[in-house]
Amino acid sequence: MKLLRKTGNRKHVLLLCLIPIFLSGCWDRAEVNDLAIVSGMGINKTDEGDIKLSVQIINPKAIGGQGNSGGGQSGGNPVTVETAVGKTIFDARSKLQEQFSRKLFEGHNRVVIIGKSLAEAGIRKHIDFFARFPNPRLRANVFFTDGKASKILKVIPNLEVDSAEVARELAQLQIGMNVTIKDLLQQMASESGDVALPRISVNKGKLGEGLRVNGTAIFKKDQLVGQIDDKVTRGLLWLIDQIQLSTVTIKPKDAKGYISFKLLRSSTELKPKIKNGTWTMTVNITTEDDVAENETKLDMMDPKVTKKLEKQLEKRIDKRIEMTLDKVQKGMEADVFNFAEAFHRTYPNQWKKAKNKWEEKFPELEINIQSTAKIRRPGRSTGPQGVPPDKEEQK
Amino acid sequence: MIEKGRISALQMAVLLYPTVVATAILVLPATTGEFAKQDMWLSTIWASLFGYFSVFIAYRLHSYFPQQTMLQYSETIAGTVPGKLIGFGLLFFLIHTNGMNLRDYGEFVTGNFLQQTPLIVTVASMAFVCAITVRGGLEVVARSSQIFVPVFIVLFLFIVVLLIPSLNPQNVSPIMGKGVAPSIKGAFIPAQWFNELFLISFLLPYLHHKEKGLKWAMLSTALIMITLIITNVFALLLFGNITSSFTYPVMDAARYISVADFLQHVEAVVMAIWVTGMFIKISVFFYAIVVGMAQWLQLSDYRPIVFPMGFLVIIVSMWSAPSLQKLSHFSSTTWPFYVLFFLTIIPILLLLTAMARKKISLQSSNVERRKS
Repeated sequence: MKLLRKTGNRKHVLLLCLIPIFLSGCWDRAEVNDLAIVSGMGINKTDEGDIKLSVQIINPKAIGGQGNSGGGQSGGNPVTVETAVGKTIFDARSKLQEQFSRKLFEGHNRVVIIGKSLAEAGIRKHIDFFARFPNPRLRANVFFTDGKASKILKVIPNLEVDSAEVARELAQLQIGMNVTIKDLLQQMASESGDVALPRISVNKGKLGEGLRVNGTAIFKKDQLVGQIDDKVTRGLLWLIDQIQLSTVTIKPKDAKGYISFKLLRSSTELKPKIKNGTWTMTVNITTEDDVAENETKLDMMDPKVTKKLEKQLEKRIDKRIEMTLDKVQKGMEADVFNFAEAFHRTYPNQWKKAKNKWEEKFPELEINIQSTAKIRRPGRSTGPQGVPPDKEEQK
Repeated sequence: MIEKGRISALQMAVLLYPTVVATAILVLPATTGEFAKQDMWLSTIWASLFGYFSVFIAYRLHSYFPQQTMLQYSETIAGTVPGKLIGFGLLFFLIHTNGMNLRDYGEFVTGNFLQQTPLIVTVASMAFVCAITVRGGLEVVARSSQIFVPVFIVLFLFIVVLLIPSLNPQNVSPIMGKGVAPSIKGAFIPAQWFNELFLISFLLPYLHHKEKGLKWAMLSTALIMITLIITNVFALLLFGNITSSFTYPVMDAARYISVADFLQHVEAVVMAIWVTGMFIKISVFFYAIVVGMAQWLQLSDYRPIVFPMGFLVIIVSMWSAPSLQKLSHFSSTTWPFYVLFFLTIIPILLLLTAMARKKISLQSSNVERRKS
């Protein structure tokens, strides 16, 4: 303190007053009301090979006033969708910028939707923008749509404010795959380089439009080679350990009616093996289920009954996965299951030698599925409901 | 002695910590990942060996000349003219490196946050703050680091913990799939960051309790190693094979955080880590420069040259590279050898000479004793 007094308080105070000048970051000042907040982006390719970029922008007029005026403003739609064409994504973006009075801001971008035209031409070179330009986030979810990307963005959903939010929530529920930009980059850079993206489509109902994740698009390297439907996608999800919300319904052999199970948790382990030059992959699946609905007259408390049901469940899962393998491994020859990575991790030396032959090897790869299903609890009821105890089927 | 202030061994340790960690924390996964791939976390361990070694050498030299910094004992050991030459080289190196540190800082801030702001403004404002701190003396630098380093560590852990749900442990295998070679290659550049620990030769003479110096310096090095291993492991588990394709992997990792849909967009935390860490790092280098310069020119006080040296460092930071590409090319090709030469090879040579001299003088005194 003595030192401070000696050199003069005034000088220091003046200095302190000068320092805040540097704190404001004047050049980069961005007011919220100067920004056009992008919530979703869609990319297509035109016939000439240019990029067609659609952005979904949150309409500040509709969002801001909702609380007070009950949404009755002239702003109307909560979002607006605009499209522009350019040589690259950024080029198209700058064309878009010309149409807006506010600065485009992708910091809150939640989804990237890839249209069919782009998917067929190859997506790798266009994803770079999302990992290079400072604004976009790697967490944005990526979807494929069998048509124009802008169609998905234009949907005004019933429950959420905008379709981008719906798409993101759908991805997080993991009914289909959940792929972020980061995951996509990793898939493309993986040993096989094959990519799978969830397919999203417009769901037209009586009350309005909605979105639906139904199926998966399979890419060989970065080019679209095929699409698989909901059912086959389930098998894929089992294989890549992304299954979360699942219902399995089976028809017991020795009783009338169906039984539905709710999946609690499941884990998938890939166990590659190289023996005497033959490559095999063992997939270990362990799943735990609860009984959710019982149409039959079977007693769910009977361990003997559940044991049998477990066997049936396992078979059901195996069948699903075989169906998927049949379509994707044999049909499209695309390794979207991370098998290549699994071999690379367990056998780095052998992998190095066989790497170039993987494309030929993969479709012929022998795959053993070993699933173990465990029925943990009967649910809220024990025996079949609405059946007198003496009429329960004994088994 | 030119510096009147004294610091505790703990303060020295908290000064050393950000001196290595600050730059490393952002770019380390990219630098090591390029060579070591999934073994990048191993690289950090190899690299830290250089750190322990550097601290050890600095401490040995210090025990020969407890009151002197490197600038002074190089003259004592090598003689006036060679000593001055070494001093000039060292000062040149320090100014250049600090210019690069400052540029690194500016590049990150400009590249990620303040894109429109001229580089000179971010760089100069940081240099100005550091200059004020250094002008206040070693105690001020030490105390500000005592305040900032805990903040630094807490924020770092904050990011680490929030990233846990997004990690995939499989990314770490195959461990040493291609042998040890890639991880050692990857260790070369971070090893040079660890070599910067030799700067404790500018701090050791001003310790309260000199006997604690080695222990705390080693502890600090261990903590640095742990921090960097965590950084690498987390970047690897999150990004896997694409880690090295990012300029600042940790920044992108922080941007990936999203907990329960509302705890997200926390990149400002990375910025806070970066600014606090770089502030200490630049200040420590800056302090070494001005004290060294004053000793080299045999001035009675280092305060008058703080601001002029600050200008010099700013100018060097502007001149050191025309672009981030050139800057990182230089830091990963020429600069490692540059550091190795000034902060490892020269000190080793000085130490060997000092040891040899001591032996000779002991022998000659023994001879004299026998004669008498």
